Amino acid sequence: MPTQENNDDRIALLQGTLDILILKTLILGPCHGQGVARSIQRQSEEVLFVDHGSLYLALQRLEDKKLIQAKWGVSENNRKARFYSLTAKGRAELLEKTSQWKRLTRAMDLILDAGAEPQGEEA
Amino acid sequence: MFKRKRTAKDFAEEIKAHLALEADDLRGEGLSEEEAHRRARVEFGSQVAAQESFHRKGRWQALDNFLRDLRFGMRSLLKSPGFALTAILTVALGVGANTAVFSVMNAVLLKSLPVSDPQTLVYLRTSGQPRGTGTVDTNETMSYPVYDALRKQTRAISSLIAYVPLTTSKVAVRVGSQAEEAEGDMVSGTFFSGLGVNLPLGRGFTVEDEANHAPLAVLSYNYWTRRFARNPEVLGQTFYVNGVPTTIIGVSAKGFEGLEPGGSTDFWLPLQNRRELNAWGNPPEDGKLYIANPNWWCLRFIARLAPGVRKTQALAQLQPVFQSASRIGLGSPMQGEKPLVLSFADAKNFPGYDQQYGNPLRILMAMVGLVLLIAFANVAMLLAARNAARQREFSVRQALGAGRSELFCQLLTESLILVTAGGALAWAFAVMSARLLANLAEIESSLAPDRTVLLFTMAVLVVAAVLFGLAPMRVALAGRAELAIRTSAATSNADAGKSRTGRIIVALQMAICVVLLVGAGLLIRTLRNLENTPLGMRVDGLVVFGVKPDIPSVPAGVAFYRNLMSKLRVLPGVESVTIMDERIGSWWSNNSAMMVDGRLPQVTEGGSLSVRSNVVGPDFFHTLGVPILSGRDFADSDTVNSPPVGIINEEFARRFLPDQNPLGHHIGTDDGRFTMTVVGVVKNHKYRSIDEDPIPMAWYMYAQIPQIGEMHVEMRVNGAPLAILPTAQKVLQQLDPNLPLIKPMTQRAQYDTTISSQIMFARLAEFFGLLAVVLVATGLYGTLSYRVNRRTAEIGVRMAMGAGRFQVVWMILRDSLSLTAIGIVAGIPLAMFVGRALTSSLYGIKPLDSVTYSLAVAGVTLVALLASAVPASRAASVDPLKALRTE
Repeated sequence: MPTQENNDDRIALLQGTLDILILKTLILGPCHGQGVARSIQRQSEEVLFVDHGSLYLALQRLEDKKLIQAKWGVSENNRKARFYSLTAKGRAELLEKTSQWKRLTRAMDLILDAGAEPQGEEA
Repeated sequence: MFKRKRTAKDFAEEIKAHLALEADDLRGEGLSEEEAHRRARVEFGSQVAAQESFHRKGRWQALDNFLRDLRFGMRSLLKSPGFALTAILTVALGVGANTAVFSVMNAVLLKSLPVSDPQTLVYLRTSGQPRGTGTVDTNETMSYPVYDALRKQTRAISSLIAYVPLTTSKVAVRVGSQAEEAEGDMVSGTFFSGLGVNLPLGRGFTVEDEANHAPLAVLSYNYWTRRFARNPEVLGQTFYVNGVPTTIIGVSAKGFEGLEPGGSTDFWLPLQNRRELNAWGNPPEDGKLYIANPNWWCLRFIARLAPGVRKTQALAQLQPVFQSASRIGLGSPMQGEKPLVLSFADAKNFPGYDQQYGNPLRILMAMVGLVLLIAFANVAMLLAARNAARQREFSVRQALGAGRSELFCQLLTESLILVTAGGALAWAFAVMSARLLANLAEIESSLAPDRTVLLFTMAVLVVAAVLFGLAPMRVALAGRAELAIRTSAATSNADAGKSRTGRIIVALQMAICVVLLVGAGLLIRTLRNLENTPLGMRVDGLVVFGVKPDIPSVPAGVAFYRNLMSKLRVLPGVESVTIMDERIGSWWSNNSAMMVDGRLPQVTEGGSLSVRSNVVGPDFFHTLGVPILSGRDFADSDTVNSPPVGIINEEFARRFLPDQNPLGHHIGTDDGRFTMTVVGVVKNHKYRSIDEDPIPMAWYMYAQIPQIGEMHVEMRVNGAPLAILPTAQKVLQQLDPNLPLIKPMTQRAQYDTTISSQIMFARLAEFFGLLAVVLVATGLYGTLSYRVNRRTAEIGVRMAMGAGRFQVVWMILRDSLSLTAIGIVAGIPLAMFVGRALTSSLYGIKPLDSVTYSLAVAGVTLVALLASAVPASRAASVDPLKALRTE
């Protein structure tokens, strides 16, 4: 099995965070898998790295949970692609997960910042 | 199983689309066409892995693997049906035999009484009876005054339950017009409430019912099912017991069969106080029934401890009460008579079974355990042999990337298939044989396997499954991946050390087989001895049945039996007829000391004064065919108006009237109230059971004593003895339509009931011995033929080098004989150990019986020779050219 050499400063995603990122990306409108991956990477200023295998699995999982729906369509450069869009249930899930995540990061910040020299950046 | 909406193809499509889009983007960033595609693929990682995860997603991975292994296992087993069938049958026989014996053991020894909270129940036991009283069981039965005193001790025991059978066998009952027989007990009003037995229908007895001696009856669930087809309308019906009408008021809980040791009760009445329903069916003694008679220790007790009271505390409170109550109505103790001691015995289990079946059952369980060992060893060896032959398959699979755990899972699955199939068969086998066992042993309680038995079987099967999965694993793994490349049968198979385990196992099996054969031999010879024990009479042609008429007075009773006998005597085919109080061959007897010439005899040897007596009718010894050594038999002319006469046996004369002519001496009851003249001496013969030793016996003439009750009629007939019964029944019904024939059977069958457990154990031991032999034979055969197969090349070389056929055959035989010799040497000490454990179950044979041992050794050797015959002849027929060419 070819191993991915991780010599850049990209960070692999934490377990469970990929789902929120996908939902967040799709709130801007329908998109195909490759577009979602690109978008996450770009929006995180190339810090977050999305393993493509897991991405498609996550997409499938979300689809099974009826949080997103999929349809084959044609991309802007005329390629056949499977487009994903949010369902109403998915929107609700995104709101809930976002607020959960915010509470979590705030709590993490409070602890990590307390009494330590501010080093920031370390997501 | 799980419906997937997307196909794998659709998913693959999407990945392809992804790669194209990514390549487009990369090209847009200025990469070359080729480089863009490469980078897209690299970025994506393993497409195969992604597809595989997609495939796995949403499935129960383990189950999926399991199903795959299952299919694979089935296929590979079907490829060798002979092996599969042998393995499954072996498991079925081994496990089935164990389940059957365990279910008997469970029902007889382990199961609790079906009452609430059996831990707080105790049986009451006494150290004995006051002198001059009558009893049924020295330690278990006590008098009514004792009951009356103890039941008031409610601070120690919350309820005292008294119970006593209406007869030693069965009583006459009637519903509608048909006279029948059934087993009934009289019980205290606390019986159902105190034991905590539910009544699904109707109600149980109350203390008031007992106090009023109310004519009520509760049926057992079994009897209700058997006799009344579970008709709920039996409530309120009239149920005649010995002609006394009672009203059915309830049906007891399913599975509750009363407290009678080794028996099952059909119905219960509250304690009664009338002549027809005296305890044990006895006639009144001096006009007194059991309630008024402190001399008649006939009631059994079970008590429920008061909440929070410990056994020792309760006993301490009851002891003084018991000791004073035991003297009520008996005057002061005789000189040197010690006060009686009350004690408790746990009442968790069914009563009486342990003494009768405990030891033999434990031995049987050990025997079937050994059979199981042999069976499992066989299957393990079979599997090992089979999988060794599959070594190349395993090597190839390992070379192709199968992990050890995957191989193990697959082997485990195969063993699981075998064990499941074997287990299912075993269960069916066990259910059937448990029923058979119950008949053989005449155990009346239900032996049907229950949940405990199921758990036991499952546990055994799980052990088997793991064992069978693990055993071949060693062999399978020993063949490493690189072995796949080697092709020669000789090089990939010849591994000398490996078969050593197999040889040790076979030798062990031989040893176990010796043990089982010796055990079976001892038990079978015991049975032969019992069956061939002379009874001292001509037992064939005798038929016996009980009669319990309503007897208003002694003269009326005598007249009834005289009338009955004279009517039966004239029936065609009847040679002679007599009657007896205790049925011979039923374990029952009257035991007491007897006066000889006005005083208790002096026993010099410190021996017992005990005499077994019986009350019998005219022509008794003539009818039985017991030789009269001197004097005469009882005759019709011996009546209440003629001088009382008695007959004794040789042993009585030898012990109490040595060196004199016993005729003309006077013997009588130990209280001196009845004396008779000895008019006959008869040869020793069996009274209670087949295995009893000669004991002094004496007989009273029924027409001369002041008591009469239920009697058993003995008839000597020509032709088939049982054929006379319908006619006899008609005669009896003419005298009284209420009367059934109670427990009619041939006298031979009656004596056989006294060795029923020996019969059962001998037959079972025979069966298990045979099973062991068959299993050992197949095991040895399998091992030897496997070894011959593997050594085909070697044999070929030997023959090519000039070895003769005889030498080759001898090589194989030597192999099997040396294993047998080791097995025998190891088995004999083990067998001696087992033989010693069996001592108490043997009759007329020593645990070190040399004939049995020789037969066992010969048997094992014969089996070994037979099992090696086929492999040896196969070895002899090896064609050296062919064997070498296949290399």
